[in-house]
Amino acid sequence: MVDPRTTRRVAYWALFLALTVTTTFLRLLPINPMAHGIPGPDLMLAFTFVWLMRRPDYLPAWLIIAVFLLGDMIFWRPVGLWALIVLLGTEFLRGRVPLSRALPLAAEMVMVGSVMLAMLLMNRLVLALALVDQPPLGLELLRLMMTLLAYPFVAVFSRLAFGLHRPVPGEAAGYGRRL
Amino acid sequence: MARDRDEDYAGPLRRIIITILALSLAATFIVWRIDSPRVERFRSAFVDRFVPTFDWAMVPVTKVLGMVENFQSYTRIYEQNQELRRELQQMKAWKEAAVQLEQQNAKLLAQNQVRLDPKLTSVSGVVLADSGSPFRQSVLLNVGSRDGIIDGWATMDGLGLVGRISGVGRSTSRVILLTDTSSRIPVIVQPSGQRAILTGDNSPFPVISFLENADQVRPGDRVISSGDGGVFPAGLLVGQVLQGHDRRLRLRLAADYERLDFLRVLRSHPAEQIRDAGPLIPPPASDLPGPAPSAPITARGGNG
Repeated sequence: MVDPRTTRRVAYWALFLALTVTTTFLRLLPINPMAHGIPGPDLMLAFTFVWLMRRPDYLPAWLIIAVFLLGDMIFWRPVGLWALIVLLGTEFLRGRVPLSRALPLAAEMVMVGSVMLAMLLMNRLVLALALVDQPPLGLELLRLMMTLLAYPFVAVFSRLAFGLHRPVPGEAAGYGRRL
Repeated sequence: MARDRDEDYAGPLRRIIITILALSLAATFIVWRIDSPRVERFRSAFVDRFVPTFDWAMVPVTKVLGMVENFQSYTRIYEQNQELRRELQQMKAWKEAAVQLEQQNAKLLAQNQVRLDPKLTSVSGVVLADSGSPFRQSVLLNVGSRDGIIDGWATMDGLGLVGRISGVGRSTSRVILLTDTSSRIPVIVQPSGQRAILTGDNSPFPVISFLENADQVRPGDRVISSGDGGVFPAGLLVGQVLQGHDRRLRLRLAADYERLDFLRVLRSHPAEQIRDAGPLIPPPASDLPGPAPSAPITARGGNG
């Protein structure tokens, strides 16, 4: 029943949940995240994309939905919209993970950044259509820049702390399936 | 494992599931948009349940933050000290201004409360310039003939006599102070009723001269104007008797000569003159024989 691959996957799910709780906790702390008018990075989004680009099988769609729905609830965002958009973005990238496996980090960041930008614009478009008040666009773009800047650090951190890396060509053979 | 197989072979199924999830999320958003209050209530209930579980973890963090802030305030102590000093300096300036205003206010109040003969009305003026020199003790007022000021009228501040008008322009007039050498005022020393002349001699304490009996006057006696000569109104407080080092009787002025700001010029009315020499008062006309009755009648008419 408990084969090592499933155990490991469940362990990574739990790890991702723990990361979610930690970042949420950090954002709930009474520290102002706006240092000198610059918003901090959206660590949750960065972690999601790093993990997705490394090991999509550790990050199933339901986990993403659960985590971002939680975020929607706690951070007083419109319920469901951002989770939906993140789901669409991650699904879009998930289909292209095999293509991007050989890309250097810079190219990967360009790809992820364009997807994030598209998500942000889509979010704003839907909110505008629904006549919801929105934060200023400049701040959101700044936040996106910060998230992209944090991306490589998150990648390195994930690799060093959690041993998360792209599967090397020989690794897939051991699992008996395409990664 | 069934699950692995699903992920391996169920591409279309997975796509359907994702679509359903996406649609339900979209539906959630639409519900939130349509029925916002209910969803918000649910959200606040959720946050109420979820966030306080972080409390135990927040306590040390908030404590550490408080300590950091305290430490920062210690390092800023020098700046704060400088800042406080600056503010104290400003406060001193304000205090000075407040004290001056208070004194001015007290002076004006005193002027308003001075009780005078109701016959005496007054014109208030502001001292424009203290044109005193060692030889002429005078000040300039901002009232003049335009305001009906006439030479010789008495001038007071809130406390006592200051001097008399000497020289009237259209909108200014000059006040010769009691300390001026050309100032002579008839006065009465109060308890004993001794009449005297107050003579200025350019010192702060004018001399009391021409006393009838100097023995009856003691230092500390009140001195008021007597009205002799018909120039000055009677009964204005002038000051107190003072014995100088040279054994001469002098006067400590009641008026505050150090700060002459507002002065009242008293409208004096010329004293009534007695012109005839007092005729004989005859008995009633009926008692008199002869043609006498017409004479006393004309005499009495001249008396009025």
